[in-house]
Amino acid sequence: MEISRKYTESELVQLLQQRNQPVFSYLYDNYSGALLSIILNIVKDETLANDVLQEVFVKIWKQINSYDPTRGRLFTWMLNIARNASIDTVRSKSYQQSQQNMSLSDDTQVTAGGVEMNTDQIGLRKIVHQLREEYRILIDLSYFQGFTQEEIAKMLEIPLGTVKTRLRTALIQLRSIIKP
Amino acid sequence: MDVKAYIESGIIESYVLGMTSAAESAELEQLKRQYPAIQEAIDAFEASLEQSLLSDAKQPAAHVKAAIMRTIELENPAQKQAPVIPLTRLRLTAAAAIILLVVSATTNLYFYRQFKEVNQQYMALLAEKITLLAQQQSLQTRSLDLYEGMQIMSDPAVAKISMPGIKPEEGKLATVFWDRKTRDVYVLPNKLPQAAAGTQYQLWAIVDGKPVDAGLIDACNGLCKMKNIPAAAAFAITLEKTGGSSTPNLQQLQVMGQVNG
Repeated sequence: MEISRKYTESELVQLLQQRNQPVFSYLYDNYSGALLSIILNIVKDETLANDVLQEVFVKIWKQINSYDPTRGRLFTWMLNIARNASIDTVRSKSYQQSQQNMSLSDDTQVTAGGVEMNTDQIGLRKIVHQLREEYRILIDLSYFQGFTQEEIAKMLEIPLGTVKTRLRTALIQLRSIIKP
Repeated sequence: MDVKAYIESGIIESYVLGMTSAAESAELEQLKRQYPAIQEAIDAFEASLEQSLLSDAKQPAAHVKAAIMRTIELENPAQKQAPVIPLTRLRLTAAAAIILLVVSATTNLYFYRQFKEVNQQYMALLAEKITLLAQQQSLQTRSLDLYEGMQIMSDPAVAKISMPGIKPEEGKLATVFWDRKTRDVYVLPNKLPQAAAGTQYQLWAIVDGKPVDAGLIDACNGLCKMKNIPAAAAFAITLEKTGGSSTPNLQQLQVMGQVNG
């Protein structure tokens, strides 16, 4: 999907910070799809992912004044909001309970994380999927599930140093894959 | 510091993806200001990540955008309500101002009428006061004259010469008070009717058998001061034409009294 560049990024930010609703509508039209992809990579349930997307855009509108352009691009900022909101949703009690109920009643694909929709062919996961298994699992646990490196070392029963080295390699490979 | 090795450590990607610790982020933010190559590496990864993810977007459900726009409109009520509130306030203020104006005007009219009435009463009282003051002054003058007369009448040096009416003028009476020291003469017209128009009473002193003009009697309070008479055997009053005469008209002799001793 090609984005029609109507505004420069600084114009976009300035207008959003002035509470310009048409510009916010433009922002939604151009970025909601990419953000939904990252949410789906984490939340997996499509209905829930759309709810999270709604929550994310309301947060963007409310918190736009706290966005600092010197710390990164607007998209990077929005991407982090989407990732954090998704991880929070997955970790919430209500989500955990709904996953348990489903696993009892449904004969669906069950993994370590619970009932999952296959979103491996969407967005960032599609890129990560191209990595070797040992790297892929590290990206999954750290990026998509939000575990710390210490937690991952314990979960996988491998030394922290190994987690660090492998994660570094995984990220460098990831970069070379997405490089245009 | 080996900037190239730092860039190749995966820290850039961790940072952009939000996977660094607070300490790692702080360190990188400091280094990127110091080494432009680090900032360039961050920019490049951010740009390619954005490009990559935008090119593989998933269409959200149709209802999501409408729900978001509705929410932010509720979150942002200033734009819609702002013009309404001041207008209502303006109307209320205008209504209050008009009511106050009417109340004020009515009150002013009421007070003006009160003022006018009180002012008229004041003017009337002022006029009355002036009249009373004038009356009082005249009474005071009269009272002083009477007091003076009493002083004269009670003075032992003053002789009292009673002048009864002479035929056919019985019933008329006048009294002369004559100060033996100063020789001043005063007359009290006890029972003398108002002189007819064109006529006037005149006092005469009888000196060595001849009448001497002792003055005309005007309207006076109590005693009327007459001319100074050094010596006289008797006093008499005649009715003369206004302005008096040099010789008395004896046909019009009114009263007469002898000086005793």
